[in-house]
Amino acid sequence: MTDSPLTPAEDEDALAAELSLRVLSEVEEAAARARAAADPAFARRVEDWDERFGVLADEIAPAEPGGGVWPRVDAVTGAANDQGPALRFWRRWAVGSTAALAASLAAVIFLIVRPEPVVQAPVPAPITRVATLTLEDGGVAMTLAYDPATGELYLAPTDKMHGDPRVPHLWLLMPEGGVRLVGAIDGSATSRHTLSGVVHDLAGQAAQVAVSMEQPGHTPAIDAPDGPVVASGSLQRL
Amino acid sequence: MELSVSLTRDELSAALSRVGQGDRAAFRRVYESTSAKLMGVCLRILSDRQLAEDVLQETYVAVWNKAGAFDAARASPITWLVTIARNRSIDRLRSGAALRKAVPVDEAFDLADDGASADDLVAGKQEALRLAGCLDELDVRTSTAIRTAFFQGATYEQLAAAEGTPLGTMKSWIRRGLLRLRACLER
Repeated sequence: MTDSPLTPAEDEDALAAELSLRVLSEVEEAAARARAAADPAFARRVEDWDERFGVLADEIAPAEPGGGVWPRVDAVTGAANDQGPALRFWRRWAVGSTAALAASLAAVIFLIVRPEPVVQAPVPAPITRVATLTLEDGGVAMTLAYDPATGELYLAPTDKMHGDPRVPHLWLLMPEGGVRLVGAIDGSATSRHTLSGVVHDLAGQAAQVAVSMEQPGHTPAIDAPDGPVVASGSLQRL
Repeated sequence: MELSVSLTRDELSAALSRVGQGDRAAFRRVYESTSAKLMGVCLRILSDRQLAEDVLQETYVAVWNKAGAFDAARASPITWLVTIARNRSIDRLRSGAALRKAVPVDEAFDLADDGASADDLVAGKQEALRLAGCLDELDVRTSTAIRTAFFQGATYEQLAAAEGTPLGTMKSWIRRGLLRLRACLER
């Protein structure tokens, strides 16, 4: 084994392997996922590693699931299917146009905050932070925009958040570690909120945002989700 | 309950493509032919039947939603499905275990060395043997760490703690091991 430093290409491929294998820390993984979401070549490297490692599952003995699993899958996906081809169209559109979505979102916020159409000199939009929350597969779950000055928060979930009986909760991931609950959100439609107090301050400092899925009626502690974290994204300045 | 229906790789690819077009009968066939395999994956990582079934359900909902993105030219169908099941299982493991600080670090190296199952109907037996051969070319601690990461969803931090080695050392072993693995597979 050599001890020479890795070349940039080796380094990138090692990162793709690490993401596929899931050995990275939470923050490193979120960053690598953001990279995969934005960089198709890198995403392909990750998929190539998925393909290489996937055959290891040959060594895992199969286990019959209980008979109740299929009826639940059937019910959940059947309901989603009733929404027909339009849903699929929008899903593809949302995945394929993250940047456009973020840009149009900024425009929407701009109009909300400044209702009078500004035609002349381009005035900087007051939104300073945006995040695209992606799922493990790089698919876009939601786009978020936040104005630290006013505390105004805008959430635009894609249809990937639809049809889940659980309730999405939004979290802030702080740069020094630790998470903080913002609250339950609507996974089925765009929504606007105004953050105040501690959460307002923390949201201005947060490095990332994430969404966990919680059982209906259950509110997790403010510093720890109980349900799975299904999507996350870095907060970036516009 | 019908027993697993086995499909060849091509049949499974074709069925997945139809799922992508909203074919529910094809979805049922995909479930029947792969759910035992994916349940095995979920159970291996989560070690709890109820949790595993819960994640298995999520996995197939994701399969239904994502099947349109499956590309038979690039991915093996069973590997594509296994990746979703494994990632969902690890997400669940970390969302609960990590935050409750109940990660069984000491057990991270309790990797049962069970042989490959006979379930090679859809998986690429050749590829599996090849990967096993290339893993065997690495030094034992590196290949064991990579296997533990795959089968148990262990992070660098957990692997380093279990081995009693600095985090940076563990990272270096695995990163170099992964690159050697790729070189071996491409030979």
